[in-house]
Amino acid sequence: MDEKGKKSKERNKKKDGDLKVSRRAFLKGMGASTVAATLASIPVTSVPEAEASLPNGLKEAVIQLNVNEKLYRVKVKSHWTLLEVLRREMDLTGTKKACDRGNCGACTVMVDGRALYACSLLAIGMEGKKILTVEGLRDGEKLHPIQKAFSEHGGYQCGFCTSGQMMSAKALLDKNPKPTLSDVRGALAGNLCRCGAYPKIIESVLSAASKA
Amino acid sequence: MAKEFKVVGKKVERVDAFERLVGEAKFASDIFLPGMLYVKFLRSPHPHAKVVRIDAARAQALPGVKAIITAADVPKYQIHGRATAPSVPMPVLATTARYVGDEILAVAAVDEETAEQALELITVEYEVLPFLLDAEEAAKPDVVKIYPEGNIVQEPTDTLNRGNAEEGFSQADVILEGKYKTHMLQHATLEPRVTVISWNGKRLTIWDSHKGPFRLRTDMARALGLRINQVRVLTSFIGGDFGDKGQTERQHVVCGFIAMKTKRPVKLEFTREENFLGTHHRYPTTWYMKYGAKKDGTLTTIHIKLYADIGAYYHQDFAYNSLEVPKGVYRCPNVRLEGYNVFTNKPEAGQMRCVGHPAAMFPQEVHMDRLAEKLGMDPLAFRLKNYARKEDGDQDRKVPFASVGLEECARKGADRIGWEARWKKPGSNPGPVKRGLGVAFQSCRHGLIMPPMSAIIKLDPDGSVELMSGLNDSGGWQKTTMAMFAAEELGVPYEAVQVTTGDTDATTDTGGPGASRGTASVGLAVIAAARDAKLQLLDAAADQLKKKREELEIRDGQIFINGENKSVPYREILSRAPSPIIGRGSGKAPQNVAMHTFGAHFAEVAVDTRTGKVEILRLVAAHDVGKAINRLGCENQIEGGAIMGIGYGMLERQYIDSQTGICVNPNMIDFKIPSILDVPIVEPIIVESDDPYGPFGAKGVGEPPYGVPAPAIANAIYNAVGVRFDEIPINIRSIIDRLDKGRA
Repeated sequence: MDEKGKKSKERNKKKDGDLKVSRRAFLKGMGASTVAATLASIPVTSVPEAEASLPNGLKEAVIQLNVNEKLYRVKVKSHWTLLEVLRREMDLTGTKKACDRGNCGACTVMVDGRALYACSLLAIGMEGKKILTVEGLRDGEKLHPIQKAFSEHGGYQCGFCTSGQMMSAKALLDKNPKPTLSDVRGALAGNLCRCGAYPKIIESVLSAASKA
Repeated sequence: MAKEFKVVGKKVERVDAFERLVGEAKFASDIFLPGMLYVKFLRSPHPHAKVVRIDAARAQALPGVKAIITAADVPKYQIHGRATAPSVPMPVLATTARYVGDEILAVAAVDEETAEQALELITVEYEVLPFLLDAEEAAKPDVVKIYPEGNIVQEPTDTLNRGNAEEGFSQADVILEGKYKTHMLQHATLEPRVTVISWNGKRLTIWDSHKGPFRLRTDMARALGLRINQVRVLTSFIGGDFGDKGQTERQHVVCGFIAMKTKRPVKLEFTREENFLGTHHRYPTTWYMKYGAKKDGTLTTIHIKLYADIGAYYHQDFAYNSLEVPKGVYRCPNVRLEGYNVFTNKPEAGQMRCVGHPAAMFPQEVHMDRLAEKLGMDPLAFRLKNYARKEDGDQDRKVPFASVGLEECARKGADRIGWEARWKKPGSNPGPVKRGLGVAFQSCRHGLIMPPMSAIIKLDPDGSVELMSGLNDSGGWQKTTMAMFAAEELGVPYEAVQVTTGDTDATTDTGGPGASRGTASVGLAVIAAARDAKLQLLDAAADQLKKKREELEIRDGQIFINGENKSVPYREILSRAPSPIIGRGSGKAPQNVAMHTFGAHFAEVAVDTRTGKVEILRLVAAHDVGKAINRLGCENQIEGGAIMGIGYGMLERQYIDSQTGICVNPNMIDFKIPSILDVPIVEPIIVESDDPYGPFGAKGVGEPPYGVPAPAIANAIYNAVGVRFDEIPINIRSIIDRLDKGRA
């Protein structure tokens, strides 16, 4: 384990107390790959008022999600999508809901390095996976090179599809740092932009690649 | 001599880039409030039906249901500014459904699932009525009446005649008739319609994906019986508008009513399906065109009959709006235009990018192409001969254009695509894959100066600037453009300007960014506010420096003392000023002149005659923007408009089943908007005609690029394969059908 890994392990130990989950149980559940994640806990959100009854066969569970290298405990229903949990339960609203049917790509996030539609994933199946959303792209005040390129080249207009576009771009550049024009088109084919910013989106992604 | 600019004309990054790119920009759909209720509409499954009885008892008993609102609960509330002819206000909820998706009642529950479950428990008994889906059919006498007054909206049409059309035909050597159709489609904004409303007993706060916060505020106050200042509308970020999000709608009044009744915040977010069924759309049109011209190519007369299918509710005179194009792009002494707004049992027509003009640009520019061919003229030369010059201007109001860059657009575009050397007669191409070139012109009154216009500028003690503008940024770089105007006029760096929009408590009414009016209209107000602030600054400086105001001059962020070789920076004066400096500005529309935007598109296509596939190889889009305030934003608008326009011409169509009146493709797979794979790298050309009335010479550019690609591409396809299309969208299916017809 390198120096950075050790340090974050130390941090994890300190925060375990807050989390009220035994470290052993956590490691068993999450797998070693998530050890480096910084632990943070947010209050367990209450399911909207007990007055709403749960349709037959649906269950509730408290799960742990690793999002942007932070661990969250969230109470979810078994049919809730990752998208609605990110947005409504975790206040990570940078990931957008546009069609909710896997048609448009506005909700694209990265799951274990792959660009996936958060509207088409059940939150309950996301335990043990590393999720990256647009909020996790930047490093403090410093924009990620992809964000910087989108800003410099105007790769967006209304900005509603933009987080999805950038997550697809990141998944591409992580695997293929020197993409061609058709690589970019292929990787972003599942991300619709109604403003039609495509020429500048392509420019942005190619520019981010050239600077990486 | 051209003015030297410090900020204007440069490429700058968006003023709100950081928020938008890190995921912090809060759109209305991102608002979740504690204790919030979720509202859902029950929509009519019938295109035309009377509501006889509603049984909501089982839904009422469902745990978590907090309110069920029917038309009977809200009879005195009306949607202001929307009317069914002749000016009957639109009801908040329908007692007679006039399209599939018409809103009958609303349910509010603790979560979306419960609200949906409640809808399933409600039974509505309908008296099903016969329905009409075709405007030409609905315009006939003795058909089903959608309103007691009939299906044709009565509007004055006397302004639509010029000269004598019959005389014009007698002067013509060539007369050409044609019938054309355009289709129904949806804005398909990525952010669906969404409204969040909270009532604290004194004030109503609305978060909305809406471009006209002040209109919404006034309408809501009126509908709910509140003072205007009891309503606050927050609309900082909008996930696409394109015309759908500028009106006050049922969802607003219903949510306001429920929030006040239940004393809990409410949210209504349309599903993607609802966004197809229950919002506005671009209306279908049917055109009968008859043009006459002399042998030398001079247009002598235009006669048009137009049916605009406006759906179930009336917004505005869309037929007239569409007819503005054929009566204005080319000079013609004799014009006779008949336009009919016809009700049908389809979702209501509304404004969509460039409103009525794109539906007119396709038939007109195809008809002009055909007429050129009949005359044996090059289609570009024919257009250049006839386009309305500066002195022709608005031929009905008889006022000149303020500035005209159309010919420059045409020449530069033609050069770029190589028109002169490469344009050949139709069908000159051997082989199964045929290439062709096409052209289309654009001229319309969008991009103009139109009130209301206002802005406020505060100067901070350190010289930084706060600009408060009621102009919403719907994605068209409006905030950035306003910041550039302020920086240029004040002589401060662009980075020193902070812009606040989308809050009716903090800004003033300056209208919405519709009609591409934002840059030209609000720009004038921002510049006026900056000038006002500078005057106050000069007064403060005169006071502090013990000089007269006339002895001081302001430039480049400094105050100069005449005759003395020294200057004082703003901040020195500002930090010592006893009161804050607040500049305010307004503006007015120029009189006795017509402000038009102009453009010319050139398309090159390759048509595979074996498969029907059309590849758009190039699309050159030249636009007269007056003055490019921000080149990056201008390019972005031209490219985006043209790409959306390719969707209009080639891909998108909302299909309504003729047997049931049901929309069969209410999703983004079957309603195909362009993806990154479907479009070429558009080649924008920016032409600057330096408008004498626009701020620093600018006009608008948001809408003009949208309507031009469809006819340019249709003309290019004709040029490639010799087959004319009189209807859009032109897709693989229609091409195969037409090519087969040609072969048979």
